[in-house]
Amino acid sequence: MNRLSRRHLMVGLASASCGSRSLSPGEMSLWFTYGGRNRKVLLELVDQFHARQSKVKVHPTFQGDYFEGLVKLRTGLFVGSTPTVTHIIGEVVPYLAEAGVLSPLDELEAEVKADVDPALGQSGSFVGGDERPLYALPFNRSTPVAYFNRGLFSDAGLKPPTTWAEMRSVAKALTLRSGDRTERWGFECPIAWWFWVAMLGQAGGQVIEPDGRVSLGDEAGVEALHHWQTMIHADRSMKPPPGRDFNAWEATNSDFLAGRVAMIWTSTAFLSYLTDNASFDLGVAPLPKEKRFSVPTGGTFFVMPAGVTGAEREAGLAFLRFMISPEAANTWATNTGYMPISLAGRAKLRAEGFFDDHPNFAVTLDQLKYAQAWPWAPELFRVQREAVQPRLEQAVLEQKDGAAMLGEAKASLRAAGIATGAL
Amino acid sequence: MRRASLLSTVVLALAGLLWIGPYLWMVSTSFKSMQEIVAAPAVPVPSSLDPSAYAAVFEAVPVGRFFLNTLVMATAIALLQIALALPAGYALAKLRFAGKRWAFGLVLACLIIPPQVTFVPVFTMLGSAGLVNTMAALVLPFGVSAFGTFLVRQAMLSVPDEIIEAARLDGATELYIVYRVLGPIVQPTLAALFLFSFVYHYSDYFWPLMMTTDDRVRTLPLAVALLREQGTGARWNIIMAGNVILSLPTFAVFALTQRRILKAVTARALG
Amino acid sequence: MKPLRPSHPYLFLAPTLLVLGIFFIYPLLLALYRSFFAWDLLTEPVYVGGGHYEALWRSGELVETLGRTLGYSLVVVVWASALGLGFAVGLNREGAVYAFVRGAVFSAYIVSWVAVGLLWLWILDGDAGILAVGLKKLGLPTTAWLSNPDTALMTLAAVTVWKITGYAMVIFLAGLQDVPKSVLEAAALDGAGPWRRFWYVTWPLLRPTAAFVATTSLILSFQAFDIVRVMTQGGPVKATTIFVYAIYESVFMNLRVGRASALTVVFFALLLGLTALQLWAWRLGQREGTT
Repeated sequence: MNRLSRRHLMVGLASASCGSRSLSPGEMSLWFTYGGRNRKVLLELVDQFHARQSKVKVHPTFQGDYFEGLVKLRTGLFVGSTPTVTHIIGEVVPYLAEAGVLSPLDELEAEVKADVDPALGQSGSFVGGDERPLYALPFNRSTPVAYFNRGLFSDAGLKPPTTWAEMRSVAKALTLRSGDRTERWGFECPIAWWFWVAMLGQAGGQVIEPDGRVSLGDEAGVEALHHWQTMIHADRSMKPPPGRDFNAWEATNSDFLAGRVAMIWTSTAFLSYLTDNASFDLGVAPLPKEKRFSVPTGGTFFVMPAGVTGAEREAGLAFLRFMISPEAANTWATNTGYMPISLAGRAKLRAEGFFDDHPNFAVTLDQLKYAQAWPWAPELFRVQREAVQPRLEQAVLEQKDGAAMLGEAKASLRAAGIATGAL
Repeated sequence: MRRASLLSTVVLALAGLLWIGPYLWMVSTSFKSMQEIVAAPAVPVPSSLDPSAYAAVFEAVPVGRFFLNTLVMATAIALLQIALALPAGYALAKLRFAGKRWAFGLVLACLIIPPQVTFVPVFTMLGSAGLVNTMAALVLPFGVSAFGTFLVRQAMLSVPDEIIEAARLDGATELYIVYRVLGPIVQPTLAALFLFSFVYHYSDYFWPLMMTTDDRVRTLPLAVALLREQGTGARWNIIMAGNVILSLPTFAVFALTQRRILKAVTARALG
Repeated sequence: MKPLRPSHPYLFLAPTLLVLGIFFIYPLLLALYRSFFAWDLLTEPVYVGGGHYEALWRSGELVETLGRTLGYSLVVVVWASALGLGFAVGLNREGAVYAFVRGAVFSAYIVSWVAVGLLWLWILDGDAGILAVGLKKLGLPTTAWLSNPDTALMTLAAVTVWKITGYAMVIFLAGLQDVPKSVLEAAALDGAGPWRRFWYVTWPLLRPTAAFVATTSLILSFQAFDIVRVMTQGGPVKATTIFVYAIYESVFMNLRVGRASALTVVFFALLLGLTALQLWAWRLGQREGTT
């Protein structure tokens, strides 16, 4: 593809003309997009890395949130000034890989095959992920889970739901109203792509079919929307959080911690945060099924931009090797709630009885067997951001017809040249 | 007469509270514990003054260095803008020349272009010049304040021509007139410009974020952003503490410049 | 006045125009150029001609975004100016109370958008925010202001008004200094009440200042971005996706630089037109004495 040549030329020229990099041998730069606790744990890991060896020095710098970090990566690629290593969300990996701006990490393939959980690594997270060069190493990987307030559930004599039908009845039972004001909601969940994909899977569908056409789950996608719509507008047991993207996730967590909602769906990533700040007994449960159990994976992967060579590349690889090692993977996971990616590390935790002491951590791992791989589709994030996400909100909040909304989404994709098949 | 003034005083005091209330609440939140905040965020006064949030801020981010960077940047921008606005405002207000309308229009038009539009080409430009991660990248693009030029022009329109003519007759150069004669006369306007510029650029997050990839010249708003964790909203007391720390210097600048701006108030009121 | 040397005006304007040219005009022209391509900052740009403009128009997105932005701006400009004027007139005197209120109103302007946004997010929470709690105690109806598509935009406008009233107030205060106290006193002695004094003496002298405040707040409100980013991220259901946020979304989230450029060009042209209209309406030119 000739698109690659321009990119490679620019990056090569820039690296050759240097100046912008100014890294001595053994030094590497790490761009990350976390604040708060995650940042702290990451920086601690960097310190540990420095403590155990002195050849490689890491310079970690914050670059804003996921989106800002991605733009900075792209502008960096454009001017030829990129970090050694950074991390990006899964949905964007195929896009960047196909555009030719990521370095293949062949040197690490052996380690990855040996120790990284395939369900969390590139090979299992993407359909056909193992048929391609290794571009991405798992960093913080998560699945959606259901958190519930054990006290409220046991008081009402209820157990966490295992089917959609149970979910509706449980949520209704736990919703407390006084007049037209809701004192406590039964369920809350950000109206986000990730959870919709989960439900779509549970209803038996897939977002993108094996032949590449973007079906958005066909009926399953509509059913998923309908489930939310029913719970919000008919049952009135589900509270849609305000704001979008991360504000909605924050609001969901705050509401849950304050006891304003009995059960929420959100990422396993918040396990540590919720555990630390809950004044009640926190329970974690897998997501319920409709036709089958199904969850997508989320979180980010480490990548190395194209054009990183020589001593800098060696330094980057050394750091990445460390990050996927059992100790580092465990430190990260146990301090945040993301899943431990190293199989050896996981075994160690099991042996130490960690999962017995912290049963909540085990739930997300058990759920992995139902994890759905993402298609290796460069346009996946466009499907998410442009076609589906805005229409999810419309369908749910404005009570528009789910089938019509998804039909519109597909129409917009076709207009952008993406095949959606019949209907 | 007295009843009316009492009523108006009460109304004004209430209005004042409405405006400063949220800020006071921010301060009070910064002294609460996390449990308190989650349980009852609306309570105005903390049960006890817990300063640990402030300690956490200083521990989490390099406040001192970032604060210095911000101070340098905001001051440099404000001063540079004043330095450029004075001659430009003078020309637009007082001098007759061809293309004056166009120049004025152009300056005004640039006020309309937001940084979200300019950052990609500017970043590319600065990147090629090796200026990314330097103070220059943060200051130069804002060297001109269209707003400031507008403001200075406005102020200069009220200055009597005789002053300028007299200075010319005395043999003063035009530059001298602009900076040493007119500058002091429009001081309250310059003080106001300094204040607005400083406040605006001090809390800018977007531009310093996009023009820097490491911590060398980063500014305080970016540090405060580090306190926030996507999704958890983490510890509100720490975030609010960070924001309080962030806003204190601007209050100081306000207190300082308020005197200059309002000196004119009292002078005219009495005179 | 006649310049001492013909080159002087151009020399005085040169630094200003140079900086503006490099950092504003050039990017704008570049945006114009890029608006005819589809580009994601990563792969080669693809020529699409007027495709973006057509798509923006046909999808209705252009008109909708414009409508939202105008609605928001109008509310902000009118209310912030009116309140600013009211405060300036009412607080234009000595005294501790007055100084306190001036400082209080202006304090909102000083605090960063992020802090303001976070603060009000909390206050306005439909269930637990102070406002909802207070209204419920009074028996008044409440709603989730920020998650309701019908109220979200105006809620943002209200928060914006709260924040920038201080700015308008300070500008008006400065302008009020041009009103000679002696004339006001004379009018008072003649028996004119406060309203008549304001309308016949103060207001005519304050008009240029009012025009300035209106014009600048229009432009500044059209550029609102941080508040949307912090409080609603353009939602719910696009209700608060105003122009600059739409551009940001296009670049950062949808990776469509060409489309963002088209939006920019339209935005610029519209605002320029609006500003020109406003200036003409205020007949700002009138104030020009010796040109």
